[in-house]
Amino acid sequence: MIFLFLTSGLFLGWTLGANDAANVFGSAVGSRMVSFTRAAVTASVFVILGAVLQGSGAAGTLGRLGSVNAMGGAFTVALAAGLTVYAMTRAGLPVSTTQAIVGAIIGWNFFTGNAVDTGALTQIVTTWVTGPVLGALFAFGLYHLVKISRRRIKVHLLKYENWLRMGLMVVGAFGAYSLGANNIANVMGVFVPSIPLESADFGIFTLTGAQQLFFLGAVAISAGVLTYSRKVMETVGSNLLELSSEAAFVVVLSQALVLFIFSSSALSGFMVRIGLPPIPLVPVSSTQVVVGSVLGIGLYKGIRNVNLKLLGSIASGWITTPVAAGILSFLLLFFVRNLFGIDVGHAVSPLSAGGAGANTSTIIRYSIPVLLLITAVYLVYLVLSEKKKTERLNKKYYE
Amino acid sequence: MSLFTRTNRELSIRIDEFFDTIEIGVLIFKEGIKAYVNGDDSAFQNHLAKIDDLEGKADKLQRSIENDMIVHSILPQQRSELIKLLWQLDEIIDTSKQSLNEFYIEMPHIPSSMSHEFISLAEVSGNAAEELIPAARAFFREPHLVREKLIKVYFFERETDKAAFQMKKKVFHELNDLSLAEKAHIRYITHHIESISDSAQAAADMLASMAIRQML
Repeated sequence: MIFLFLTSGLFLGWTLGANDAANVFGSAVGSRMVSFTRAAVTASVFVILGAVLQGSGAAGTLGRLGSVNAMGGAFTVALAAGLTVYAMTRAGLPVSTTQAIVGAIIGWNFFTGNAVDTGALTQIVTTWVTGPVLGALFAFGLYHLVKISRRRIKVHLLKYENWLRMGLMVVGAFGAYSLGANNIANVMGVFVPSIPLESADFGIFTLTGAQQLFFLGAVAISAGVLTYSRKVMETVGSNLLELSSEAAFVVVLSQALVLFIFSSSALSGFMVRIGLPPIPLVPVSSTQVVVGSVLGIGLYKGIRNVNLKLLGSIASGWITTPVAAGILSFLLLFFVRNLFGIDVGHAVSPLSAGGAGANTSTIIRYSIPVLLLITAVYLVYLVLSEKKKTERLNKKYYE
Repeated sequence: MSLFTRTNRELSIRIDEFFDTIEIGVLIFKEGIKAYVNGDDSAFQNHLAKIDDLEGKADKLQRSIENDMIVHSILPQQRSELIKLLWQLDEIIDTSKQSLNEFYIEMPHIPSSMSHEFISLAEVSGNAAEELIPAARAFFREPHLVREKLIKVYFFERETDKAAFQMKKKVFHELNDLSLAEKAHIRYITHHIESISDSAQAAADMLASMAIRQML
């Protein structure tokens, strides 16, 4: 019975693997720098490792947003998110699994009469903005670093390409690990409270109940990578991101870093130890972080390269996806409970709201203004340097 | 990965060898023209045989480089441009060989008053091609230096055009003792020597745009 309820989560995992693996290895495979088989096997292995070893942080935050306390409810919430992603992808609209699952959980909260934890919600929504912005900042800085290094080391182009090939494999593995660590919460997070499995002792290591669920979800993601991501990697991967090999390397590394930051309990703990506010452990949309990173490279190459449509598509996704998933989740929960008589959950905290207010407000108080300031400084710098850059590029070789 | 490392190392050696071949070919061409104009037949024959070998070697190298780049998926994003560049560079040694062969087959009559001009034209046209090679080498190691290295190519190409124009003008306006057939023949030969610098300019244009894209 548990497996039957888990199918919607596994389906969600499969779609995530089929689509989001292209964010990690798409540009490398699309440009034929890395073969699909090598990319798929690496992605599969590291997604599982990331999910099992580091998936609990982001899942915890989703749990605070709405602790779905019945298997029927978890099944319906995951199904609503999966269907939203599927329908919006078919309609060609920008969509993110992360935002869909958040919307679906809020739909469950409304349906069961649970109050929405505004602290957790603010924390999550904040990272939707900071994720792509951080991706852009990382990409800008890293690309600058790569370009400077290339100029200094004077390595032969063929040797450099060899390094990039190996680099793409390494950062791809790191990206897949971070994707598993961060996005497993989207796939299995809602099932954790309703399916309390006992810890499994394998002698040399023990898997908690949540880790067992994450393992199953990660296997579904891997299945998506192995069975359906080839087409996405070879077509969408190269079409969406027409990047040079070094730009692809930077984009994947930036995305991996952002996803890692928002899923690493150790890093968050370290921040607290050195007297800084903790990093919110929240699932972020890998696609939007990739788009942010591509925009960062666009900014580096000149502000005219920034496609404002991409920014618009990110912003529209923040609203349309959760709203659509929330409404669908509410409607599906209604039918599942009233038509099939399945328990979809009950109210736990109808009146209490705002659990993580202190941490969240600290984060917002520090991170948003800092990021906005850095972005503003970058923009001013870029606008000022634009003219100089254009002049340099247009300079004729001879009079 | 080790396979890639080995292939890439071998390929970079072959690319350098290809550049060496083109460079030597251009030097041989210049010497060949000098020998012909000075009437040193044995030296001319010797240069003709050498350039023939070098052209064959360049063709073989070009094909093997292209083949390895495709088979081992090396530089997938720049590959088509690089292959075009190699083709354009090969065109330089092809034209040089063809020019010397035309001198050998057609044995054009070079008036003594034009000997110096012919040697100078071959020199300056060859210089355009010679200056291209350091720029092409720089593309692989220091793409930011390509632009400044290409300045000389464009300079020599312009000088070649000027020299060829003056020579054609002299032949048709001043050398009235030559027959129309001889004048037309000299014009044709001049044009052929001039086309080496044109090929160098075409390759330079490609190299410039490739280098800019590398730097962005």
